[in-house]
Formats: sequence, structure tokens, C-alpha cells
Amino acid sequence: MFRSNNLTARIFERQIRTPSPGTTIHRARRFYENIVPGSTIYDVECPDHSFRKFTEDGKYLISFSRNHQDLIVYRPTWLTFSCKQEDCYAQDLPPKAKKFESFFTQIYSVPLASASELICKDFFLYAESNQFGLFATSTAQIYDAPATGGAIQGVPSIEKITFHLLRLEDGVVLDERVFCNDYINLAHSMGVFLYDDLLAIVSLRYQHIHILQIRDSGTLVDVRAIGDFCREDDQLFLNSSSQGMSSIEKSVSQHIPVNNVANGPHLEQVPQENPFLSGIKQRLLSFIVREIRNEEEDETMRIQSLKKKFYFHFQDYVDLIIWKVQFLDRHHLLIKFGSVDGAVSRNADNHPAFFAVYNMESTEIIAFYQMSSDKLYLLFEQFCDHFHVASKNSPYMNFISSHSNNIHALEQLRSSKNKATSFSLFVKKVMASLPFNCQSQSPSPYFDQSLFRFDEKLISAADRHRQSTDHPIKFILRRPPHTLKFKIKPGPEAGITDCRTRRISSFLFHPILPLALSVQQSLFLQPAFVNIHFRK
Amino acid sequence: MNSGSLTGGRSWPSRTSLTSSGKRIQKEMAELNTDPPADCSAGPKGDNLYHWVATLFGPQGTPYDGGIYFLDITFPANYPFKPPKVVFKTRIYHCNVDSTGNVSLDILEENSWSPALTISKVLLALRSIFTNPNPYKPQVPGIAHLYLVDKSKHDSLAAEWTQRFAK
Repeated sequence: MFRSNNLTARIFERQIRTPSPGTTIHRARRFYENIVPGSTIYDVECPDHSFRKFTEDGKYLISFSRNHQDLIVYRPTWLTFSCKQEDCYAQDLPPKAKKFESFFTQIYSVPLASASELICKDFFLYAESNQFGLFATSTAQIYDAPATGGAIQGVPSIEKITFHLLRLEDGVVLDERVFCNDYINLAHSMGVFLYDDLLAIVSLRYQHIHILQIRDSGTLVDVRAIGDFCREDDQLFLNSSSQGMSSIEKSVSQHIPVNNVANGPHLEQVPQENPFLSGIKQRLLSFIVREIRNEEEDETMRIQSLKKKFYFHFQDYVDLIIWKVQFLDRHHLLIKFGSVDGAVSRNADNHPAFFAVYNMESTEIIAFYQMSSDKLYLLFEQFCDHFHVASKNSPYMNFISSHSNNIHALEQLRSSKNKATSFSLFVKKVMASLPFNCQSQSPSPYFDQSLFRFDEKLISAADRHRQSTDHPIKFILRRPPHTLKFKIKPGPEAGITDCRTRRISSFLFHPILPLALSVQQSLFLQPAFVNIHFRK
Repeated sequence: MNSGSLTGGRSWPSRTSLTSSGKRIQKEMAELNTDPPADCSAGPKGDNLYHWVATLFGPQGTPYDGGIYFLDITFPANYPFKPPKVVFKTRIYHCNVDSTGNVSLDILEENSWSPALTISKVLLALRSIFTNPNPYKPQVPGIAHLYLVDKSKHDSLAAEWTQRFAK
């Protein structure tokens, strides 16, 4: 059916027609086809900060000072200016309006870093319900750190990692959490996942998943630590019921928490090996054994397959470490296990990995998959949105295009599946993105694949840096008449004269307004080119 | 690989020429596979014949019911003339297993070990400590004492341990 693309006609249509049930929001979002950030202010004069992102409700723009010391928060405002001539719509913006300040108002700047710690500019999580921001500062990495006090050999160490919980409204630091001599993957918030008010922090070095709760009062409360133990009071139980046992047990079990979450200076512990399997490993191994036993009906077959699939690989399973974690809901975690080498190498794709679904309330492993498992892939293909969990109170996060909610994205996935030379390699490649990074996708409607088509190699909802090309990135209408609606061009207006230096672009789209920032940087320490894309 | 045995730096026997202990372990493995004891199983870790893992399922009617226990079994180079060493890798509340997982079992002691015993017999003996703990020769006197004085409290504690640490 023909529908006009004229904005006035659409508004009129909205008045007289009732949309099909349940499509009101989709209808409303179609207006974004008419309202696009098609104008660009090139190389805008702006403070030399590294701009991180807009919060998912669009209320704040988060940026850090270049020296990684301060957090500077802006409020996006809409451009207002006056103009004396007639027909000012056709005119270019007056020079006074072509400023960063006409789009953003600085709310505050607070120092987060201390003498030895710097802000991790890749790390930021936003708790929308109470407008709290979580930031991280850390000291430098030590690569050849000795594995003491139950630490994993081969994982680097960071002397001090501090998480800061801020009230974004006024920049007041509400709470802090310090991890000493630990390693948490802070790049792209990989080692931390926020779901509603629950926070999962993966300590790679001590192999713990710390579950914390962000209270409305602004405090970080320990809920439990999964790793050595599964239930929150296991440690207490062990200490109290092993009073009759020898003193070795007590010293083994008591020293563990001291290393992990220490709010004071860390005391070097005498390394003491825990003779038992950790709680999570016990659950995992017993799950695998039970699964093999239930799989085979025949007794002799069962023995053979236990021997081949379980005992032969027993040590490999024991040596697996937790790489990454995400919440699937308030009780279930998707945990990725792999080798120590894979956890610290930049390219983890070549290392074998496993996925486990763990219920942290019942302390049960629900499922266990290999990286190249067809079964998990099919689940992922059909129910991708169950992996992309968003917090409850942000409905627009449900509109982020995925191959489970968007036919065009599904087609794209299918076509790359058909193009792939080997299915298992393809599955591996797709599954490498699991577990998802927390809050890594922009909810901007311009990335809605039912509205616009664009080159996903150059730009996408995923928050990541991209190699810059000299061509503007085109956003084309998905529906007829398939016309070019707007272009986003990072870097200087005239294009790049010096082709030798590699340039990296990042794009920050406002979740609601037709407003975006593109930041282009060469690898040298030159100031970045910041362009503002907006609707005039 | 084989040069290691020439220099004497290797602590495990060469695989190319199986020693008598290796042959014996292989024979016992075949036996175990054809006639496995109930509620337990075992197999070599990787390709090392001398290092095994055993799995014991807590028998019904005991406080260990529902638990799955993993044990390390290490065979000495002069097996079967010396007993294998058995260690629990899963926490267990038991008067014959100490706080680091070492298990005291009559037949596993050097003096009472007999070369006629096999891995199947060892597994059976290990399984029997679930049903019949020996509080008169305890590794942990506290647990043995509780077992003798207040069996129901002992059992509920052991069941709690099973739920927490052996699931």
C-alpha cells in the first residue's frame, strides 16, 4: 500500500487512522525517516576531551579529560539561535551558533583519578532507573605478576582497580569499590555486566564472579561471590562446621576473600593451594558427568563415553577459567569458560571455549555447550533478544535491531551463513560475540534496520571504533522510494589530504534526538576532529 | 619424547614400552570396563595411565545421596606392589577423610595393601565408606565423635555438606 513520505501527510494520516494493535511505537518511529541529522558542522570547536557516549535515556553526554583525570558531563540541549534575515531556513547557521556549547551545556567536571590511578576511558555503565553512572579507575597492568594467594598463573595483575558509583545529576560520588592485585577486563566494559540493579564483576585473576547490588540509596552491596563457593554463606558454613577439623582447612578457607575484595592495602599472603575443586568447577564437572550418564542407555557404551569424553578431558575441564559473564535474567548467568591463554590474548577467537548457563540461586548449571555447538547457535539465531537483555525500565532498548526482531538483519545473517565456507567456523565466529558486552549498542532509531539501510562495516549500533574512510556514510530508506536520506561524514569537510596516517572514527548517536557526534582520530596524539550532525 | 627416559629426568614411564605396572593397570582398566561396580566409575586423565580420576555417586539412604564426588587416584611406578594414592577433590563431611581430602582406608595402607587388590576393589572399598564410616580409626576425630554420640546430627550436617559442596 502506498504511503506518503511527506511529513505533513503523515501527521494527517496519524490523526485519521488507527494503527494496527501493538504497532503504535513502530508507527511513531517512522517519523524518524523524515527527521534526520542531515546537517553537519565540521571540525567544531570543542573542548579536547574524549567523548564516551550518550546515556541511554539521552540525558547526559559522558566525556573524560585527555589526561584521564576528570569526568566531564554535559547536558544535550537543542540548538536555539535567532536570525535577522528573512528566509533564515535556507541560510547557513550564524557563526555564533556553530559551537559545541550551543548543543551541550557542561553540568560539572569532577576529578575521579587519584595519584596513581587513571580513568579507564572505555569503561562506563549507566543505571537508568536511578541515573547512576559506574566508572572505573585503575593503575597500570603488571604482566608478569607472580600468582599468589590463589591467583591464576599467567593472568596479569592490576595493583588497584576502583569502581566509582556517581549520581549523574550532580556528580556526587556515592560509593566506591576497590579490587586489589586483581585483573578485571575493563575495555569495553567486558568484565562487568549490569542488569537492573545487579552488577556482575569477573575477577579473572582470582576466578570469582562478584555479584553486587546497586541500592537506590547509592550504595554497592555484596550479594555473593561465585567461584570458590556457590552460595553466599558457604564460607561461613564451612568455617563454623569445620571447627572440629584441623587448622589447615580454616586457614585455607579464610584467606580467600581477603585477596579479592579488599578495601584497604593488600597484605601479601603465603600462597596456599586449595586441594579441592572450586564450587563452580564441582557444579560444572558433576553436570557433565550426569549428562553423559543420562545420554547413554547402554552400560558399556556409557563407560566408553565417560572414558573418552570425560576422564580423558578431565584436566582440561579443571583448567578452564571464567572469561566473561552476562546476565540472562536476575537468576541466570551465561558464563564463558576458556583457557588462560585465551583470556588474556587480544584475539580469543582461536582458543576453544565453552558456554555454561548457571542459576545462581539454585547454584545449578542448567546447560553446557561447546563454542561451535549447533544447538546453542540455533537458540541464538531464533532468540537473540534473550541474550541482549536490557533493563526493564527502558522500553526503547527493545527496538535495537537484531536478527530475531528484524527481518533485514536476519537476512543478512542468513546470507553470511550461506556464504561461509564451513558451518562450524561460522558458528564459532558468531558465538565469539557471546556473552555480549553490557550496554554496547546504541538505541538510536537511525540504526533501526527497518527504517534505514547503511554499511555495517562503516557504522552500526555497536559501540566500537572503526577504520575511517574518506567517503560519507549513507543512510538509505529501507522502504520505497529507497532514497538517500542523510550522510554522516567524519573528519574534515574537505576530506583527508594525508592518506598515510590511519584514522579511526567513533560515532555517538543521541538515543532520541536527531543529533550525533562523530569523532575522528589519527593514531598520533593530535586533537580529534569532532563533527556535529544534527537536523537544521 | 623418548630421550627423557635416557637422561633420567622423566618421572613417568615411557609409553612406547609398557612397564609391567602399565600392563597391569591396562588390564585392570579393561576389567573395570566390562564389570563396573555400581555408583562409581573411573578412568585415566588424558593419556597418563598412572593418573586417574574416579567419580563416586553418593549412595541412596546415606547423607551423601545426590552428591557426586571426584577423586584423584595416583598409581606408583611399582604398582601393584605399592598401593595407589587416593585423594578427594570434592569436599566431604566424613570422619575418614581429612581436611585436605586424604582418605584413610585400611586396604590403601602400605602394610595392609595386597598386590591381589585391583582398582575395582579400591572403588568398592571407597564406596563402602559412604555407607559404613569407620569412626574408630578416624582422620577427623571431631566428626567421628559426633557420629558415635549424635548420629542424626552428624547425618544432617553431612547432608548439608553434600548439598553445598558435592552437587
